[in-house]
Amino acid sequence: MADIEPYENALDAIPGAHPYPRSSRYHDADIGIHRQADGTEVRYTKRRLLPPLPPQPEAGDAQDESRTHTVSAGDRPDLLGRRYFGDPAQWWQIADANPVLDPRELTDEAGQVIDVPLPGNGGERRV
Amino acid sequence: MFDVPVGQGPVHLTLRMGPKLTRPVPAEVTEALLSAQITATAGERSGFQLAFDLTKNGLINRALLPEGFFDPKTRIIVSVSVKGTADVLLDGLIVRQEVGASNQPGHSTLTVTGEDLSLLMDLEERTDRYPNLPPSDRVLAILRRYSDYGIRPDVYKEKVAQPPHQDLRVHYQTGTDLQYVTELARANGYTFYLEPGPTPGRSSARWGPEIRLGIRQHALNVNMDNNSTVDQLTFSYDGTAREEPQARWQDPGTRVSTLLPQPPISPLRPPLGRRPTPALKRRTLSGTAKQQREQAEAELLARAAVSADVISGSGSLDVNRHGYILQPRQLVGVRGAGRAYDGDYYVKSVTHTLRPGSYQQNFTVSREGLEARSAYVRP
Repeated sequence: MADIEPYENALDAIPGAHPYPRSSRYHDADIGIHRQADGTEVRYTKRRLLPPLPPQPEAGDAQDESRTHTVSAGDRPDLLGRRYFGDPAQWWQIADANPVLDPRELTDEAGQVIDVPLPGNGGERRV
Repeated sequence: MFDVPVGQGPVHLTLRMGPKLTRPVPAEVTEALLSAQITATAGERSGFQLAFDLTKNGLINRALLPEGFFDPKTRIIVSVSVKGTADVLLDGLIVRQEVGASNQPGHSTLTVTGEDLSLLMDLEERTDRYPNLPPSDRVLAILRRYSDYGIRPDVYKEKVAQPPHQDLRVHYQTGTDLQYVTELARANGYTFYLEPGPTPGRSSARWGPEIRLGIRQHALNVNMDNNSTVDQLTFSYDGTAREEPQARWQDPGTRVSTLLPQPPISPLRPPLGRRPTPALKRRTLSGTAKQQREQAEAELLARAAVSADVISGSGSLDVNRHGYILQPRQLVGVRGAGRAYDGDYYVKSVTHTLRPGSYQQNFTVSREGLEARSAYVRP
């Protein structure tokens, strides 16, 4: 990356090139270009890979990366997002930290313990 | 926000400290944080000031302060997440600390002040020669020395190409690295600053034109009843700020000095206002006659571009109401200020003021002409 960019690159950011806002989970996903048979180009969002899970903390080690939540009756992923991040649309951060296929699996059973990432841990995000 | 329990509001602040590699601070330190003030400006160094509560038998007073946890040259990273989206506000070094001991209980404070990581480049004076390197290569060679602090160079080629010729001239650096890099940026109409992030512990050093194209940030609304997000916004139009520089260059072969033509500044600064303001002042640059022709042209362009911003605005906003953090050194739209002053602006500087329960931002914006170019701003 430690290269000199040509001057023209500095000012060629196309408005609307990346359609997802910073709070979206697809913000970091790559945008691909598919060329159709007649030559027209179609933009599409490439598959998003989950960020790596943090290593399991040793006993007695300070837990820096996440905290836990015990599911109670009536919990929903969006309610947890509202409670821990201030925004219901951020439930996907909790789903990412406990890899589940269906977000409703997170709060299916009362009493199960799920990981909640700390807000502010940028993780692998890029701007 | 005051009715939300601690740790569950929409704004969260994370502090990381350490000598070169940082780690999250103990919970007692975060709880003792009284206020944080961070200033970020385009083309200048960023500064910060953090105030901590210094309880008599607290962890800071008892252990951390004597052990050198807050010593100068300790690295400190502040990141803030608003509604789950994290942003690194500061990656800097402590320069000084002040302890105010008070007779009243709970009024003793520890204040640490510092600057961003470009302080590292300003510590040591260096004389060095760069034969046959154009300015951007020289900047890259300097920035490579600081990669162990996670500084990633983001360097662009200069607008007016200046092919070096070591038989004619060898460029020398005197002074600190930061002075030399800033001087090179100024001679080409560029800015140099460190942008912290995207992840804690990394930052990018931008040496290039100001970002005056691309996606605008969420608009600042003023005078729009309950839709307004900005508390107050003042604009000023300084007619004498813009000047038209003139430069003469002497051909060493024929000894004829010619007046260089006025370059268009729009490639360096795409216009943001519809009605460009005329230059009232005219001044002559000194010392351009003996430079290489490309160097003189670059300096003429740089002076014309830098002085072009005559309209400046300043104001303050509450992040909770605005919903987003206003980032410095990017474009933002303004609406509700009237036909003359609406439109897109470049955010020159932002001062973040964080306290438990409040997050305020003071900002200054600027552009070069009245009236918006487009009928819409990004909401």
